[in-house]
Amino acid sequence: MLEEITVEEKLLRFENVTYRYEEDGEEALKGVSFSVQKGEFVVILGHNGSGKSTIAKLSNSIYLPTEGNVYVNGMNTQDEENEMQCRKTVGVVFQNPDNQIVASIVEEDVAFGPENLCVEQSQLRARVDEALKSVGMYEYRMHETHKLSGGQKQRVAIAGILAMRPQCIVLDEPTAMLDPKGRREVMNTVRRLNKDENITVLFITHFMEEAATADRVMVVDDGKIILDGTPAEVFKEVELLQKVGLDVPEVARLTAMLRKNGCDLGDILTEDAFVEAFIRKMEG
Amino acid sequence: MIRDITIGQYFPGTSVIHKLDPRMKIILTVLNIASLFLCRNFFSLLLMLAISVVWVLLSRISFKTILKGLKMILVILLFTAFLQIFYNDGGTVLWHPVESWDFKITTEGVFSAIFIAVRIVALILLSTLLTYTTSPTLLTDAIERLLSPLKVFHIKVHSLAMMMTIALRFIPTLIEEIDIIMSAQKARGADLETGSLMQRAKALVPILVPLFVNSFRRAYELAFAMEARCYGGDGKRTRLRVMKLQGRDFAMLAIALVCLAAAIVTSVVDMGGFFLFEKVI
Repeated sequence: MLEEITVEEKLLRFENVTYRYEEDGEEALKGVSFSVQKGEFVVILGHNGSGKSTIAKLSNSIYLPTEGNVYVNGMNTQDEENEMQCRKTVGVVFQNPDNQIVASIVEEDVAFGPENLCVEQSQLRARVDEALKSVGMYEYRMHETHKLSGGQKQRVAIAGILAMRPQCIVLDEPTAMLDPKGRREVMNTVRRLNKDENITVLFITHFMEEAATADRVMVVDDGKIILDGTPAEVFKEVELLQKVGLDVPEVARLTAMLRKNGCDLGDILTEDAFVEAFIRKMEG
Repeated sequence: MIRDITIGQYFPGTSVIHKLDPRMKIILTVLNIASLFLCRNFFSLLLMLAISVVWVLLSRISFKTILKGLKMILVILLFTAFLQIFYNDGGTVLWHPVESWDFKITTEGVFSAIFIAVRIVALILLSTLLTYTTSPTLLTDAIERLLSPLKVFHIKVHSLAMMMTIALRFIPTLIEEIDIIMSAQKARGADLETGSLMQRAKALVPILVPLFVNSFRRAYELAFAMEARCYGGDGKRTRLRVMKLQGRDFAMLAIALVCLAAAIVTSVVDMGGFFLFEKVI
């Protein structure tokens, strides 16, 4: 009984999930288990082909696990009757903004999700406006989607998911195809949604610097989760991260090298924090 | 050059034409085009041309944009008009170079060439204006509703409409992609501009192959994105914009019907001094 209650509390839970793209092909995921709590900001790190994108598509029953189970709010994604409810609860934003925008006009695209959910006409308008405002694209509502910049397109895609009022958003490398400015736009939007609107975020990326402000970081390699902890805990494992092909931020590398040589600065995640800690160390 | 293509593009606006009910707009366009093809003399043709120009003016879309659309068909327009000169040999002979040949240019030939050119221009104006002033989603929504009686015959009207929405949405994306692939192939030394027609056609293969392969990849990803947004494919959805017929819709319908009647009447009744074709063009 007690066990069941804790299960209910997890928004998203993977239980020994194995996934093969082809029946007797290689396993993209090999018995992965983890859970995400309400309100958490979790970053999944991994290089190309590590299986991290498969996690995104498993989380809202687009893919179904070959073995094991995925639960969304306690609902098993394998049950067909849960399908729509799962997709309504967990929204997924994909990598290429061009390939996930359905309509030619911004507000019509944002309305696509709630339209599918048969939201009443009177509420539709409010939902669309609200979603566009919360990603800062309200002034662009009548613009053509193909004329927007990459970062703007991706924000429209996020608004399209937000308009469905999900409890959790999974973003599958949303910044991979963007320039630094677009990347910043998307990151700031996602952080704000997590902090101000209490939306659970599962952010999949291969940029380590995007993981620095997360509540929790998971590192995926070869279909398995090899690290799971706070950014500070994960960033300490410089050698392991480099071994699995991730670009460790310079700050983390420098801190690790200093620690090795007897100068421990503590948990450092950003350049500013490093400078501050270093000066303090020098003065002290 | 390739980026100049404006087919199926939409220019957002708030003019009367933009605000017309899209269903009515489709009906009006069909009616106007029907009238245009019923025109048999210059009187009714000029009336239809005037109507088309009034539509353009009402839509407040710049003439520059409209002309850009016309530029695309200029070659077809001139070619058709040129051929038309020789199809009609009534009226006074203007030029008959070799007595024994049947080749001659007559007044009626020239008139019918002008006639056909004006008709094509009006046709393009009317049909492009429909897509220029109606957002693709609304347009396909309207088609879905107009075709909904076909559901009786088990035709999947909703799927057809969704296919059209996506096709229209991806036109600019694919045009951009062609541009990128062309540059990439040129950078690898591909020659797209010189050589015989056959050689140039062959040079297009390395552009079309990646375009098709990429389109399949896009389709696959789009399908995931649509599923993630709870798309069911059965047409059970609500709509952001409601369609409601208003006074202006019926006013425009009345004008279109009057034009149709005028086209029919003037093509039957001889207008006296005004030029009337014996043959159907």
